[in-house]
Amino acid sequence: MALIEVESLVKRFGGLMAVNDVSFVIDAREIVSMIGPNGAGKTTAFNCVTGLYPITSGAVRFDGHSITGQPPHRITRLGIARTFQNIRLFSFMTALDNVMVGAHWWMSARVWDSVVKSPRARADEKRVEARARDLLEQLGLTRYAGSYARELPYGLQRRLEIARALATQPRVLLLDEPAAGLNPQEKKELMALISRLRDEGLTIFLIEHDMRVVMEISDRIVVLDHGVKITEGKPAEVRSNPQVIEAYLGQGAAERMVDA
Amino acid sequence: MPSLSLGRLLTWERVDPTARRPRGAGTSTFWIFSIGSATLLFMGWLLPWFVRPTSSGIGFSPMDVVSSAPTGIGTFLVYLLGIGLLVMVLSPFAELFYRARKRAVPARIDQVRVLIAVFGLVCTVVVFLLTRVIQEEQLFGPIDTFTITDSAVWLTMVGYILAATAYGLRGWVIRRPTTAFAAIALPVGILLPLMFHQAPVFILWAAGSLGIYTLLALGLNVVVGFAGLLDLGYAAFFAIGAYTCGSLASPKHSIHLPLWVLIFLGAAVASMFGAVLGAPTLRLRGDYLAIVTLGFGEIIPDLATNNVGKLTGGPDGISSIDQPIVHLPFATINFGINKEWYYWSVLLVVIIVIVLLRNLEHSRVGRAWVALREDEVAAAATGINTTSTKLLAFAIGASVSGLAGAFYGSIVTIVSPDDFSFSVSVSILSIIVLGGIGNITGVIVGSFVLTFVIFWMLQYLNEWSATLGQTINVPSLGNIDYSQYTYMIYGVALILMMLLRPGGLIPSRARQIELTSGGEEESLAAVQGIA
Repeated sequence: MALIEVESLVKRFGGLMAVNDVSFVIDAREIVSMIGPNGAGKTTAFNCVTGLYPITSGAVRFDGHSITGQPPHRITRLGIARTFQNIRLFSFMTALDNVMVGAHWWMSARVWDSVVKSPRARADEKRVEARARDLLEQLGLTRYAGSYARELPYGLQRRLEIARALATQPRVLLLDEPAAGLNPQEKKELMALISRLRDEGLTIFLIEHDMRVVMEISDRIVVLDHGVKITEGKPAEVRSNPQVIEAYLGQGAAERMVDA
Repeated sequence: MPSLSLGRLLTWERVDPTARRPRGAGTSTFWIFSIGSATLLFMGWLLPWFVRPTSSGIGFSPMDVVSSAPTGIGTFLVYLLGIGLLVMVLSPFAELFYRARKRAVPARIDQVRVLIAVFGLVCTVVVFLLTRVIQEEQLFGPIDTFTITDSAVWLTMVGYILAATAYGLRGWVIRRPTTAFAAIALPVGILLPLMFHQAPVFILWAAGSLGIYTLLALGLNVVVGFAGLLDLGYAAFFAIGAYTCGSLASPKHSIHLPLWVLIFLGAAVASMFGAVLGAPTLRLRGDYLAIVTLGFGEIIPDLATNNVGKLTGGPDGISSIDQPIVHLPFATINFGINKEWYYWSVLLVVIIVIVLLRNLEHSRVGRAWVALREDEVAAAATGINTTSTKLLAFAIGASVSGLAGAFYGSIVTIVSPDDFSFSVSVSILSIIVLGGIGNITGVIVGSFVLTFVIFWMLQYLNEWSATLGQTINVPSLGNIDYSQYTYMIYGVALILMMLLRPGGLIPSRARQIELTSGGEEESLAAVQGIA
């Protein structure tokens, strides 16, 4: 069943076609990777799906309903959470608070409850804190709960961002280069985490440059180059596709590899 | 190599930014305590000779101190207290001396200080009790009849209590700064009118300047400190509150609503305007937002000057605003005569506002504000409605200001456009920068310091300097008009602040770390390409 449908997505910045007529579908409980050389328009496509960029033309549907033109917070509330390529944590909030911000939208205390610290607000706060601590524990961040996000080592910041995204109770998780800057051990843990999340019912859509990670965990791969989707398919198909090799290594290399 | 300077003195116990849990707020409170106690002791020690209810407040003649012979037991005790005070004030320098030589500070310093503090406390209590039983002449020797003595004793007492707490319970003060602060500030705040019952102008200052500006600063702190939205036109909401009160409780429109209704009305009207101002600025951030709010701050007093709809009385404003008269079964309280009731009302409101704002700060709303301040794009992508969160900050900030405005109108009984000029916005902003952006305790300390300097010291500096000039035979000292140096004082204070303690007197925990590295700012609208 198609959870996210992107149809003829076009995003233009002035004269630059960042994303040009890209269509793809992501099914529920699938792990789909988007790859492509630098500047191919992957992050732009991400931003269009999550509402950070208004799209020039085309349509994005989530669970059968159009989310085109919706503000980012509403898209998140519908069930699409994301992380950022250049980690965007709330640096001067504790790790725990960062995760609790993720729970902000589904907390039940109204403003007035918060002002007078009503029993409802207290119960709400307690419940969400327990949930946030649970998430921190699952991601191995328990002992950093009270530290400022910016005090965490890089690899843990990536994980904290995932924890925050998970706190929004998403159905789809969009990860923008989650393995960037991680060491081999951390990458292994990341892949295990992604598989586990999928097993728990999440759909994962990620941008990644590390081919080992992409090939190992993806069910399907979408390849962009210069804003255009050049191919899409299972890892094995994509790996041997001459167009993909050409996009990454240049025309000559592609011909030699096909000959060989 | 640490040198012996005021800067070092104020900062030597500064936080190590790499520490897991910075102790900065606690040590700041400790320093506020010890510096505050020294100031109070100093004031209290000299007060018998310089607060005179007959002059408009304070006259200072240091020669009296020297020439008055220690004829009474009171004077003798006061001299003893003075010596104790000197030792206290100088003791941090002794500590610095040891630290500069990288030697352990002897525990005896603390013991001596605690001893002095306790002794001083006992002395002041004795003097205070003596003032009740014997004549002040016997106690202090020949001093003129208009001299206030018991305010002085009160002040000294508070000073010694502060010092005893700071040095005797140092661990507690540093561990629980907020509790320690409240434990001292609350009783002193409540008892203030009793301490200064002979100086009603001081109580008027405490209600009309300190109280009102504390409210204003607390409100602006929500917008600037919590949500990170720079607002340079905050006085506009103050004006709206004050004019609401003026219009609905004066002969102007022949409406006479009670103040207790008006403070809520003022808050409601101001918060509505807060949302109105907020709406067009939603896409702006930083400098651009500041400019728009600046414009709003100019428009509101201008509308009042132009007497829009014949509502505001033009440049003259609205006068003869009602002052509440409360009939109780056993007494009638006329706020116009017994100004201390204004003080207590404002104090009560300040306390309530502090409690409510602290609740908000530590709730989902407070978290959303901080998230918005830290990274608007990430906040939106995490499900926070940036529009409503910003508007809420503007509305709540404005409502506190409207509350303050209603009180202000009633206290001063006349509101005119001049009272809400840009300089008021600047003062409020200076208070929170000086005190510590985003930290409620810091904001309170900041408003105390700044309103004391601007609205009390500068008022009487002329007089003090004139008497000083007479005493030391330099009459030209009486001709200096200090009031024109208000902005110079702001400027110097802010520059010193930024150099010595860039996070404010009591910085928030986040600010302390932030100062070690810059933050990034990017508006959601800019990312979306629509701003």
